[in-house]
Amino acid sequence: MAKNKKNTFTKILKTINGNIQLKLGLIFLAILLFIAFFGPVFAPYNPYRLNDDLLMAPCAKYPLGTDNLGHDILSQILYGASTSLKIGFIAAMISAIIGVTLGGIAGFYGGWIDQLLNEVMNIFLMLPDFFLILMIIATFGSSMMNVMIVIGMTSWVGNARLMRAQAKAIKERTFIQSSFSMGESKASILVHHVLPNGIFPIIANTTMNISGAILTEAGLSFLGLGDPNVISWGQIITAGKAYLPKCWWICTFPGLMTIFTVLTFFLLGEGINRVLSPKMDANK
Amino acid sequence: MFISKAEEKLVKRFILKRLFSGTIVVLFSVLFNFVIIRMAPGDPTRLLAGKDNPSPEMIAALREKYGLNKPVLEQFWIYLKQLAHGDFGYSYVSTAKVWDLIETRLGPTFLIALTGAVIALVLGTLLGVFAARKKGSKFDIFLCGISYFFDSTPSFWLGLMMILLFASILKWFPTYGMYSLRGNYTGIAKVLDLLRHMFLPVTTLVLIDIPYFFRIARSSVLQTMSEDFIMTLRATGMPEKKIFNKYVMRNAIIPTVTVFGITLAYMITGVSMIEIVFAWPGMGRLMLDSITRRDYPTLSAIYLMLSISVAVMTVVVDIVYAWIDPRIRIE
Repeated sequence: MAKNKKNTFTKILKTINGNIQLKLGLIFLAILLFIAFFGPVFAPYNPYRLNDDLLMAPCAKYPLGTDNLGHDILSQILYGASTSLKIGFIAAMISAIIGVTLGGIAGFYGGWIDQLLNEVMNIFLMLPDFFLILMIIATFGSSMMNVMIVIGMTSWVGNARLMRAQAKAIKERTFIQSSFSMGESKASILVHHVLPNGIFPIIANTTMNISGAILTEAGLSFLGLGDPNVISWGQIITAGKAYLPKCWWICTFPGLMTIFTVLTFFLLGEGINRVLSPKMDANK
Repeated sequence: MFISKAEEKLVKRFILKRLFSGTIVVLFSVLFNFVIIRMAPGDPTRLLAGKDNPSPEMIAALREKYGLNKPVLEQFWIYLKQLAHGDFGYSYVSTAKVWDLIETRLGPTFLIALTGAVIALVLGTLLGVFAARKKGSKFDIFLCGISYFFDSTPSFWLGLMMILLFASILKWFPTYGMYSLRGNYTGIAKVLDLLRHMFLPVTTLVLIDIPYFFRIARSSVLQTMSEDFIMTLRATGMPEKKIFNKYVMRNAIIPTVTVFGITLAYMITGVSMIEIVFAWPGMGRLMLDSITRRDYPTLSAIYLMLSISVAVMTVVVDIVYAWIDPRIRIE
């Protein structure tokens, strides 16, 4: 048993090592999670504290400088990490849940349900999502909750299409057919056999969706539609825009952190995709 | 192009289906727009009346002017009738017609959006094809890495960095606007001035868009090269160069063209953030102003135009695609 476990472990390690995207993605993810959880511990100042030194360039006292109100940029970036990750994760989860449910039902049941849901997906695919999100947030207020829900509700179509294709294919497999003949109900087969077997592409896509959600949130913050009650990187950039040529440090560092975070999830998604379809290895 | 009767029927059905979807999208957008403006918190008449103790008569007059005192269904009917005439109503803020506000902004937006999209298409596709031919080389790996980087970059941040580097430090290009305010140039000098102002926003847009075209071109060339008929051609001893130019390219270019069509439709959203950074007098600025002033009619008009153009473009692209590539009709 112990030997078997070790074997699986070395196998996993081998997969990760042979897949540069996955390897880098996992290393970056570890760094990010560390920052998000322990950042507040290492932050030199309270991020809301108004220090006496306004618009200070990076120096020993303020490693990444301060903004126009005297906030320490490093502390703000460290605290902002959890905001970005939270928005990314929850929005992507919402979109995964909606997508898997609707896609699974459409692909598994087929018939008119499939046609109807497919048409709904086509319609959602044609809606300009960023502007839709922007309109809703501009009218109904920019709390973090709203932002996460709206991003999740507008980005599920990709997941739904993947799940639909998976459900259609899995439905024809022998073990599903035998479940039918053993009298298992349709809903039970869908939940217990089809969804768990078809979920892997969704995981890869959801990882990519985290990137998308983080970028969307940054864009909303830049338009002044970020949640004013939380610290987010997009909002630090927006605040620093007015002081740009001279005080370059306010905008630059949170932007770099955003790129790092988005890149992490892109790489992870690509890496997972590559593990799932080894054929893609051919076009590495 | 030869197609049989049965196939023609299939194509017709496909087109009708797409047109139907497009129509539903447009109708949905119109309804959504109407609902969201009515559901928006805050009473627009309060905003219009100003802060100095507006009299009830004034509010009543304003409600009358904007048709807010009528029943909701009648308001919707009026809204539909106005839209059919291309009338988006009046702005809550400047009392100008929304269409007049939008009209002056369209030109500048299309100018940089189109320029950027075309340059990104050409460069991205060339690089993608090149990378695919040299698959696995240092060059390919470098390009793929760079494309990940620009894919992860928020466009507005890249714009800010461009300003920082090329306008503030190197002082090569102006930081904002479309023309030099004090220049009063005419003729060639004016065009040159415009080009100088365009350079940074367009470069930002191109850098953000290139990875997209790059990846599509690269993977579609690789996909085509791995197909059986290419193997057969190789077996006949045809020179690699000829196979590539004559057979691979022709098949690989189709996805790129399709994607370009859809990109054009999304142009305005993509470019608006960049416009804001560079204070370019286009739709992006108008959008930002409408957001900060809660000018819902203007905002919803922009949204409506955008969703209609996306729907139309998607349908057109699908139909064109169906004619070019017979495989899609079978679906």
